[in-house]
Amino acid sequence: MSGPRLISDYLAVLAAELPASIVEELADGLAETYRSHLRQGLAPDQAAESAVAEFGDPHAIAADFARVNPARRGARRLLATGPVVGGCWAALLITGRAWAWPVPLPARIGFGLTLLTVIGLLAAAALWTRCRPAARAGIAGCLGIAAIDTIAITSAMLAIPSVTLVMIGAMAASTARVALSVQSLRPILT
Amino acid sequence: MRAEELKGHLDAVLLAALEGGPRHGYAVMEALRQSTGGRLDLPTGTIYPALRRLEQAGLIRGSWSVVGGRRRREYRLTAAGRRALSGKRADWRDFAATVSAALEGRLCPDPG
Repeated sequence: MSGPRLISDYLAVLAAELPASIVEELADGLAETYRSHLRQGLAPDQAAESAVAEFGDPHAIAADFARVNPARRGARRLLATGPVVGGCWAALLITGRAWAWPVPLPARIGFGLTLLTVIGLLAAAALWTRCRPAARAGIAGCLGIAAIDTIAITSAMLAIPSVTLVMIGAMAASTARVALSVQSLRPILT
Repeated sequence: MRAEELKGHLDAVLLAALEGGPRHGYAVMEALRQSTGGRLDLPTGTIYPALRRLEQAGLIRGSWSVVGGRRRREYRLTAAGRRALSGKRADWRDFAATVSAALEGRLCPDPG
């Protein structure tokens, strides 16, 4: 196998698992390593073999990147806020006798299913060991949780006529989580 | 020295390699090879995720440039990175003095 071909095959393995900007950075480093071996007098094939060996197992590199994936970190932070925000809303729904609100059954079921889907996406982003699917799930999960909190805040303002301390607490918790979603989204997209 | 033996000290070593000025990933590895006389046997690919982790922690800052038609990412220490490096150096000196004293049966120097 020719030297440059060996290097392009190595980069193809990385490209299957990592975002383009990371692959670009690794490609630059690998090209420098290859050139350094050529300067030391190795033939192109040997220089490529040495460069690839020096870089290490591409799957191990991809796994290391997955561990520092901002989608994983953001999803874990949002999942950790779940019990607190959920507890605030549970208190509001119980004290506000939510079962008596004029919300149609399909809307209730739709909201519940959306919530479960978003939790699933965030769990996938937090646990996936591959960068690309984790990033996609993380983006969808961050947008989903921000949308759910926005809908919850709007619905509470429309459904509950008098402002209570419990309502303020639930809305503050959701507002903080919308901000956290946006903050988590930024490093995934850049 | 292999990667697993360096575990726990990689961050400090990478920060130290960037102390002299901005470097890209391969140049960081070269600087480490030179400073250790080639005794650091670390797969070059493993330092890139570590650099991203340090960047996320705000200890270094990465920026892109174009060199020879290829995009290159260089890293430089932030003020927080310099403080972290100074702290890690002090911790390492304490650790090395303590373990050396234990292994060689010498009295540990007074840290004060």
